[in-house]
Amino acid sequence: LIGRAARALPDLFRVAVAEMVAYRAEMVIWILTATLPLIMLALWSSVASEGPVAGMSQDDLARYFAATLVVRQMTSMWLVWEFAFQVRTGALSARLMRPLHPFWQDATMMIAALPVRLAILLPLVALVIAWRPGLLAAPDPAALALFLPALALAWALNFAAQVCFALLAFWIDKADGLWMVFFATFAFLSGYVAPHALFPDWARPVLRALPFRAMHGLPTELAAGMTDPASAALDLAIGCAWLAAFVAVGAALWRAGLRRYGAFGG
Amino acid sequence: VADPRRLLRVVAGLMRASVTVSMQYRLDFVVEALSGLLRTAMALGPIALLFVHRDAVLGWDAVDVATVMGLYLVLHALLAALVEPNLGAIVEAIRKGTLDFVLLKPADAQLLTGVQQIRLPPLIDVPVGLALVGWAIAQRPPASALDVLVAAVLALSGMAAIYGLWLLAVCTSFFFVRVDNLRYLLWSAVDAGRWPLPVFARWVQWALIVAVPVGVVTSFPAMALRGEWDLALLGLGLGISAAFLVGSRVVWRASLARYTSASS
Repeated sequence: LIGRAARALPDLFRVAVAEMVAYRAEMVIWILTATLPLIMLALWSSVASEGPVAGMSQDDLARYFAATLVVRQMTSMWLVWEFAFQVRTGALSARLMRPLHPFWQDATMMIAALPVRLAILLPLVALVIAWRPGLLAAPDPAALALFLPALALAWALNFAAQVCFALLAFWIDKADGLWMVFFATFAFLSGYVAPHALFPDWARPVLRALPFRAMHGLPTELAAGMTDPASAALDLAIGCAWLAAFVAVGAALWRAGLRRYGAFGG
Repeated sequence: VADPRRLLRVVAGLMRASVTVSMQYRLDFVVEALSGLLRTAMALGPIALLFVHRDAVLGWDAVDVATVMGLYLVLHALLAALVEPNLGAIVEAIRKGTLDFVLLKPADAQLLTGVQQIRLPPLIDVPVGLALVGWAIAQRPPASALDVLVAAVLALSGMAAIYGLWLLAVCTSFFFVRVDNLRYLLWSAVDAGRWPLPVFARWVQWALIVAVPVGVVTSFPAMALRGEWDLALLGLGLGISAAFLVGSRVVWRASLARYTSASS
């Protein structure tokens, strides 16, 4: 099965990139909607205008939210809406006929979008740097080495979480509504709207145990040089455990959902 | 053109029908309302964090920020419940050609398309937002009746302007096929309205007053409640509202005139 997927992947990528290029104007607008990190940067920067807040200066905050812009764009996706739509309209049936699990194609679509997203994002990041040049700092090599694995883990966790919620579309109409609840929780607790350093001390262990930190805050803090490698390694391990749990739930939902979906088509 | 009483009857009938349709999905309502409340709670999280560290941001204390956030919640709820479903339906109708059926009816098309669909669940944020604003007003004893009145006028005129903005966005769908993303862009611009204007750079502040006038809905009334309003602020708010309402009406009429329907 893996071999078949590996053979199909290059072609899937070509299709995905072609689709990305065909809808480039849409892509630009889509990325511009992700301005929330800039809004939050403006807010926290104002808060820090009279002095560092929880040890973070305005430059630290600019660095954190510049990293947030990039990490979020690299890990956000739109699987839930698409999949729910395909289940509702029956378009999923055609995809089930193919000799490859549909999620392989979805995954390649999401990955093919990454270079385009990054290219559109760079001017925004350049603007943040031009606004606060002080955010540039010498990177810590150990943290940087952990950044890519952490980013890959964050991507996988986001993908797996979206798959789990997308699969709920087999049972309920409002799968995307439930996803929005998950996303709102994620936004607050992952470090997306406020770095974990700003949370009170008692909340920090709770935040570490939840899956949200590994979905965003961990790679962001590594890129911004705000966490030490030893504790980041522990965070990575916690994230991997959550990934295993998400995959297990997703696989169970897929098996049960497919039986149910078959009952529709007759 | 038309007898206003008749128009009122038409609008009342349509709204009753759309509320009835919405009420059929009771379980949906409960689930969506509850999830909406949870989302609101999460949206309030950063405020709680903020006031753990500081008593005020750029001179805006918890009471001011609560006013801004409360008005933002009301605006967001009304947009999601009344404006977005209807204007989204217009976009769909233009694409499919079913707008013809609306245009054939003997009443104003903007009015008819504006009250076709109402989504009830988002409205749960209206009492939450109003409670926040009410709490904020109660915190400051000397808020005079005039200040409260000016705040209400500013908030309402800002909301009217935002409706005009949404209608303008819908008008683009007479000429382009995919405008969903444009509306997403508007949503994320409106998002900036949940924080006080001074938080942003000067040019962003003006964009949030003139281009996406969410600042008129949220920050202007908060200033009015502090007694920091003058006739210039009031005039600016009313002027923007009038400009957006008249402008969107003109563009809507011009777009309809160029609409060739699906059949021709």
